Amino acid sequence: MITITIDGKAVTVPEGTTILEAAQQTGIWIPTLCHHESLTPYGGCRLCAVEVAGDNGTQIVSACTFAAVNGLVVETATERVLNIRKFIIELLLAEAPQAKVLQDMAQALGVVQPQRFTPRNELCIACGQCVRACREIVGVSAVDFANRGYERIAAAPFFQRSEDCIGCGTCVAVCPTGAITMRDIAEGEKATVPDGETLEGPARIMDNWKVGFKMKRCTKCGEPFAPEFQLEQISKKVSLPDDFFDVCRQCRM
Amino acid sequence: MKGSTSKRLAKLQKEGLTTLFPESTKIMVGSASCGIAAGADAVLQAITAEVKKKKMDAVVQKVGCIGLCYLEPLVDIIIPGRPRLTYGNVTPEKAKELVAAAKKGKVLEGALGKITAEPFLIEGTARDYNGTAGGVDDVPLYAELPFYRKQNRIALRNCGFIDPENITEYIAKGGYQSLASVLEKSSPGRIASDVERAGLRGRGGAGFPTGRKWKICLSARSDEKYLICNADEGDPGAYMDRSILEGDPHAVIEGMLIGGYAIGATRGFIYVRDEYPLAIERLEKALEQVREHGLVGEKILGSSFNFDITISRGAGAFVCGEETALIKSIEGDCGEPRQRPPFPAESGLWGKPTIINNVETLATVPVIAAKGAKWFSSIGTDGSKGSKVFSLVGNVNNIGLVEVPMGTTLRDIIFDIGGGIPNNRAFKAVQTGGPSGGCIPESLIDLPVDYDALTKSGSIMGSGGLIVMDEKTCMVDVAKYFLEFLESESCGKCTPCRVGVKRMREILTDICEGKAELEDLTRLEDMAGLINDSALCALGRTAPNPVLSTLKYFKDEYLAHILLKKCPAGVCKDLITFSVDKKTCIGCGACKKACPADAVTGEKKKAHKINTKKCIKCGACREVCPVSAVLT
Repeated sequence: MITITIDGKAVTVPEGTTILEAAQQTGIWIPTLCHHESLTPYGGCRLCAVEVAGDNGTQIVSACTFAAVNGLVVETATERVLNIRKFIIELLLAEAPQAKVLQDMAQALGVVQPQRFTPRNELCIACGQCVRACREIVGVSAVDFANRGYERIAAAPFFQRSEDCIGCGTCVAVCPTGAITMRDIAEGEKATVPDGETLEGPARIMDNWKVGFKMKRCTKCGEPFAPEFQLEQISKKVSLPDDFFDVCRQCRM
Repeated sequence: MKGSTSKRLAKLQKEGLTTLFPESTKIMVGSASCGIAAGADAVLQAITAEVKKKKMDAVVQKVGCIGLCYLEPLVDIIIPGRPRLTYGNVTPEKAKELVAAAKKGKVLEGALGKITAEPFLIEGTARDYNGTAGGVDDVPLYAELPFYRKQNRIALRNCGFIDPENITEYIAKGGYQSLASVLEKSSPGRIASDVERAGLRGRGGAGFPTGRKWKICLSARSDEKYLICNADEGDPGAYMDRSILEGDPHAVIEGMLIGGYAIGATRGFIYVRDEYPLAIERLEKALEQVREHGLVGEKILGSSFNFDITISRGAGAFVCGEETALIKSIEGDCGEPRQRPPFPAESGLWGKPTIINNVETLATVPVIAAKGAKWFSSIGTDGSKGSKVFSLVGNVNNIGLVEVPMGTTLRDIIFDIGGGIPNNRAFKAVQTGGPSGGCIPESLIDLPVDYDALTKSGSIMGSGGLIVMDEKTCMVDVAKYFLEFLESESCGKCTPCRVGVKRMREILTDICEGKAELEDLTRLEDMAGLINDSALCALGRTAPNPVLSTLKYFKDEYLAHILLKKCPAGVCKDLITFSVDKKTCIGCGACKKACPADAVTGEKKKAHKINTKKCIKCGACREVCPVSAVLT
């Protein structure tokens, strides 16, 4: 166990704990955007900037990626830190002014919508949660970042129809800005996959990854319950009785 | 040194000396990228054909760059009994004449310089050419040429003289002797201490003491450690590392072997960008040769030291010069940086302790090992020891590669070595340190080349690019150029760099187009400070430097753009109108001829006029006007 000091409070945590985790244990709020407790720390958004004491004065680090060492002294709310957080939110607000998470964060940090920059209106803020979730949780790696710099965006390979996406929607669940859309098309309705075919319901469309799925119907209740492709992929990975996915979860119980 | 080892090296040395100093005439063609781009291949072909045709007994060789890039293609001729002579701007026709003269034992007029004794830096000796035959008295000695007088070539010791594809010539000049003696007489800790005491600081830009870095890694406990040579040179206008790799690849390999021994590594990687095909080709050949001679692999030179070297080719992303991004790239991932700590010396490539040294740093190491810390630290300033290679480019007469002792002033480099500014224009600024560096104004031109002095001025030493700018350079436009570069080279991982740098660049574009307000300057300064503080890696953190340094020294230019809507240097198209000064114009018609838009009218010997509606503001008229009558 090691002991570190956050905002004057001593905290004892296991070695390897990040500053963010230690702060959360102590009830100190550090704002985050690209962080998710179930995913590998990324350190991209820089919103969780904190000031740590070092050999040559203090230095700014991202709390989510910085592993605490014994005796570390951390400040989470200095003027320097707060200015950085405001700056990050100002920059991101001009990217995705309509994102509620950013509006809320702006309010919490006292940031007003900046006027200097032309809004981009691109919801994806390149936080990479979808990329990490698909790789680390789903184990499919259907999406990754494409392009670099300002053009960086999460996408399926070559911006074409994803061949690996199983339509599970984990990316949708973790996306903080609602940049990823998943549409379930009801029976009797029709919808078009971006750059792709028109599907008849029941179907599911992942717009960002340009892929659509036919839904599997439960043989008992007749309700559509999961993309057929997803069930096929799961069956390949897990040994299950052939008829396991004939019925939906509710009817099986 | 074990008997067999020393015998083997001595045999190779002897072999190398026979081609370095053949009994017949020797003709060398500068065949680094700079020479080849200027037509060295055709010159080499012409020489080879002529030698064959004349049935001449002569050795024709490709060598690296001796630094006079502005005079390429360069040909050196050594006729027995005469000093080594260098000719510049050699065409295939001129090359034939040189061969014909050499065949008769004569020399052609117009040699740029001569070397009467070839220096052997490692051994501290020189080999006399016994140039007793006359006829070259009026040719200046290299040591007296303004371009070379103030240089001290340590990292570049062999460039332009040895055949980079022949290991025996490198060995003949004392190569691999340092390695042999380190392996025999020194311990890893001792050689690391020697390099630390020598005061060698990283030549890639940051200037961290190399020996200290080695010691940190040496004390890290691990079953495996790695040494990486960072050859991902990417600053605009910088080509020091390329030139060393193309001219003397073995110097870098020997430096890696010594470094690998010092940190206890077993494997080394050379991370080199694929845009350097010739450097890669020569490195590959060099590695084949060291493998053949037992200089890499297991039990090197009969010692217990095992070390192998692999070339890892990068796809040319600028950010891959950053240590953590470079490591990711070697691992096969997308080259994106991660936060430090942990530092690579503790946890680097595949999580193992890793040292990353720059090409020039490594090329210097064998010399320190041979000549000692005291010798090296006697060169330079208090905090910056040894010499530094610079690529001198931009608005300067003598464009080329120079190596000067630390402490040499920028004035000496630009005006003595570089020969000043072309076209009778005034010097305005020099950009050091690439996109992470800054612009140094005329008032600071007596600044010495020194890590700390350059940092204090708001720039950095950087890897060695020196871009000279004359009075016709707009400093706002320069800042915008560098930000555009960084905007497109940002990996996009962190917000301040991905979005912040782009937004700063937008403000600069607005300033150049006359659309900015005064408060944008404060905004730029604030953003610069915040990006510097919060970006993930050094690329982002230093990205605002070109803006900060130009704002510091050239604020009046920013103000002229914003308040007067004028670009004093006449560069920013939206803020200038071209016109001809009636009083100065001599009516030569050069502008009329040069104008691609037919916007210039006028009769011979009468003042010309520019039709501003037709004018596309390309500046061609201004470039060609012999009397500077074109105004903006």
